Formats: sequence, structure tokens, C-alpha cells
Amino acid sequence: MSAVATEERQDRQTSEGSQALGGLTRLRLAGPLTAATAPQFRARVRDAVDRGRARVVVDLQAVTGLDAAGLAALLDARRFLHAQAGGTLVLRANPIVCRALKETGTIAAFALSHGSGT
Amino acid sequence: MKAVEERGAAAAPSPSGSRPAEQGVVISRGLRVYLRTMMPQDLEHMSAWVDDPFLERMVGSEFLHSYKHVWDKAPAFYDAVLNDPTQVALVIEACRGWTKPVGVVRLFNIHLLEGYAFLETIITDMRAMKRGFGIEAAKLIAYYGMDVLGLRRLEAKVYEYNVLSMNSLRRNGFRQEGVLRQAGYDGERYWDLVIFGILKDEIEAVRRRDKVYLPLDPSEGNGRESS
Repeated sequence: MSAVATEERQDRQTSEGSQALGGLTRLRLAGPLTAATAPQFRARVRDAVDRGRARVVVDLQAVTGLDAAGLAALLDARRFLHAQAGGTLVLRANPIVCRALKETGTIAAFALSHGSGT
Repeated sequence: MKAVEERGAAAAPSPSGSRPAEQGVVISRGLRVYLRTMMPQDLEHMSAWVDDPFLERMVGSEFLHSYKHVWDKAPAFYDAVLNDPTQVALVIEACRGWTKPVGVVRLFNIHLLEGYAFLETIITDMRAMKRGFGIEAAKLIAYYGMDVLGLRRLEAKVYEYNVLSMNSLRRNGFRQEGVLRQAGYDGERYWDLVIFGILKDEIEAVRRRDKVYLPLDPSEGNGRESS
């Protein structure tokens, strides 16, 4: 099983590609986001909030698969972050993720970023 | 019992007489069975299951049908399942006494925003039937659907002659909601499809009721209710 590898960093720069993302915490995921790996993602989101970081960009550029459990985790993250003071969630989606969001009618539920991802 | 998301195959049970889970991630665990994620190696089992005429007649699974007839048993089917945002398919493993998976249970046509999905439970090993494996597997994935996916309603369709499945659904608190007249065809004649449904509070009621699992009752009526 390929796990969802997560990398977290605080974006402070306001370069052209990431201007909209300034000041946000970025979680970068790789591999399938599925029933097997979604718990790790959920834990990372909770952890970010516990550390006072409720403004999150989830970088899904390297995600290779998304099932209903992965999608539910994204929807839960959105709900959870929006419930925090000043909380927000932005997705940086690749074509695999975009297709899944469109197919399920959930794309309108998310704020999407189309930046460079650097 | 609560649906859990566990990480790592090491979390699988290995009591005396059982085999360790060598693969997959255990998603939920009951007394008789546990559910784990699908692995590419499971396609080998599926290849045998899809050629079983008994399963075809009793379940008529679109999942198995698709693997055989649409994907021609191609390995890419695994990736397709993994990339399907409208389903979660899990392999049913007996906690003890079996050397290979006993079936598949899945939630499909999942509508996360609306909170409903369809349930399909397939016990593939004849020797594993009438042991409560299917009942428990369906229960576990129902809890998973409610606790993890946020679902509030599940539906299931059963051929009118599949009394075992209808009784299993009733044991799990499903109610018959209707009949699709002559909606199924087995190659010889048309059959009614019986529709069952369960709501979140009813699933919760089953969970409260099942503090201890009841032994199986072999005679639980016969067939469908009048609707």
C-alpha cells in the first residue's frame, strides 16, 4: 500500500504562484487518498488545528487516487476547519481529484487553488 | 462496537487458530469477521468468484459483473476501484478458521452530500454462509458509513428468492420499503427486486441492541414482507 505522505509547511511568501496562499499552512499529500490512508490525513488536519493553524491548503497534486473515504475526509476537513475561528480550507487539486469532485458534485463545496504549487 | 479506522495490517487479529492478516489495512473489526482494504492480490480470488453461477444468481453483483465483463478480469480494475469516489469496497476476512477471504462488502453509489448509499454484501464461500459473517460484515460497513463517511441512509436490493439476504438485512434493522416488480432477469425469467432501507437512528438502535451478538436463528420466516 502506498501511504499518503504528508509534508507540512507554513507559507509566508507571496510569490505570484502562491499569492493567494500567503500565511496558510500547506499539507502536501502523495499517493492514494482512500479508506486506507484517510485516517492519516484526518489526523494531520486535527494536529494542525491543535497547533493553532486553521487556515490550511491541502496540496493534492501528487494524489494518485481518491475513493469515497478520501473524499469524505476532505469534506470533513472543510467542515472542521470552517468551524474554527478564521479557519479555511483550500484545495490544490490535480486532474484526478478534479474529476472525482466533479463526478460527485462536491466541487462547489471547496475553494480551489490553481497556483504553481511551489 | 464502533467503526474504527485503524492503520497497518499489524492491527489485524491473530488469536489462536487464526491466520495473521498479511495484507491490507484493517478498517473495522467484529467478533466473527473484520474488514480490510482491497489489495491487488484479491483479484485472484475475485477471478474465481465471478465464475460462480450461484453467486451470480443470488447476488447479481454489478461489482463482480463489471470485473468479469467490462474489465475482462484486468488488473486495472483494482485501480478503478481505488479511484472511484462513489464507493468503498472492503474484503471480508473471517477472524479465525479461514485461509482466504470469505467475501466482499461495499458501499456504492455513495452520495456524500446527500448522505445516502447502497449496500452490497457478498459471501463468496458456501461454507462461510449461515455463520453470521454477512450480517456482521454488513453491520460493520454500515457503522463505517455512518461514523466515517457521514451517511444517514443505506439502501439494499435483493432478489425475491434470496431469503437469506433478506433475513440478514432484517436482522441488521433494515426495513422493506418496496418492491420493484420484475426488475431482475436471470436469463430464464423475471423476478421482483425487494428494496430495503435503514436510517441513521435505526443503525444506532441496532448498535445499542447488539452489545452482545445474538446467535444465529436458522428459521426467521420465509421471504419478503407484504408491502
